[in-house]
Amino acid sequence: MSPSGLRRPNDPPLLILVSLADGPKHGHALAKDIEGFAGVRLGPGALYGAITRLVERGLIEPLGGDDRRRPYRITPPGSAALAEALADMRRVTRAGLARLRLDPA
Amino acid sequence: MKPASLLRWYPRAWRERYGEELLALIQDNLAEGRRAWRLQLSVIWGGLGERGRQARHAATAVFKRPDRSDKEGTILAAGLICGFGLGGFPSPSSATRAWQVVALDAVLAAVALTGALVLAGGLAALPALVRFLRAGGWPKIRRRVGWAAGATAAAAGGLVLVSDSDWPAQRNVSWTLLAGLLVTGLAMAGAIGLWSATATASARHLTLTPRVRAAQLVLGAVLPTAVRAMVATFALWWAAMHPSSITLLVLGLVNAAMVIVLAPGRIGRAVRLGRRLRSAASGAMIINPSAHRPHGRHRA
Repeated sequence: MSPSGLRRPNDPPLLILVSLADGPKHGHALAKDIEGFAGVRLGPGALYGAITRLVERGLIEPLGGDDRRRPYRITPPGSAALAEALADMRRVTRAGLARLRLDPA
Repeated sequence: MKPASLLRWYPRAWRERYGEELLALIQDNLAEGRRAWRLQLSVIWGGLGERGRQARHAATAVFKRPDRSDKEGTILAAGLICGFGLGGFPSPSSATRAWQVVALDAVLAAVALTGALVLAGGLAALPALVRFLRAGGWPKIRRRVGWAAGATAAAAGGLVLVSDSDWPAQRNVSWTLLAGLLVTGLAMAGAIGLWSATATASARHLTLTPRVRAAQLVLGAVLPTAVRAMVATFALWWAAMHPSSITLLVLGLVNAAMVIVLAPGRIGRAVRLGRRLRSAASGAMIINPSAHRPHGRHRA
């Protein structure tokens, strides 16, 4: 939650999908990446809770390799879902900025 | 708290799938100097969330599988009615009409029949249960049996306390006594439900002969009918004792009608299925099919 009380786009599944959009990552790399681009520090419980749900929905999938640091990658349905969510967010963002006269769009 | 012990907050199936990965992540975070208590809180919160999700999934699965919910609900209803009913039926007074006595006898007969069916199902599976336990199966059902035994002990303790309070004779029932009755009733319902769930879970591990499997199928079909008949006779008897109880009269008639309409088809299907099962097995042992489902559910 931002100081103003308005919600930020910090939904863990969305952040994970964004992070995986440029390539596979394991849990720790995901957390670091998300902290870097979104400023959100996901705890291990929140991160793996979101990973579990994304795997169940088929939006991401595990890759083979070291069991202890298993990387995940985004699936085609995951990419489509992410694109749709981001398009929705962009629509809201554009509308808000335009009404504030901060963006000519 | 050690990281490995934190995993106990998660369901077993989840731990088997993601446990090592989560441990590695926790260790990476600790190595970076993250505060241990924040990590612990995150993991505990996540574990509770997973357990909650698993419970919701289990509940959803039960309600989406009519056969199983029907069977478990039937056993639960049978136990509840047997448990509460046998101890609480008032005796007909001398002024009671003969047909009310007949109704009470019918209720008791239905209760006895239901109890006998439950007992017969248990006895039929007893040899397979003994084999399962001798083969080292106890750890698989130990936790469920423990919970059920605990609830039974709580219910028994509550019954002793409540019976000592001479409740039926009291005109002014205290709130404490009412609370005791409520807790005892809930403990009894919980104990019966837990034993039913334990029986169902244990049955998945048992290797049953075709003959026993066929018998279980028929018993499984007869039992809901007996319970419905029990509910119908109980409701009709109660309505007979209290003529103003129109709702119970309707309930009794509806249940009686459903027994008449549904029972023959249900029992006939079970008998045919049992015959097919026995002929297909042709004397060989079969494995309980639910124990070998390719996508069987994991136990927490």
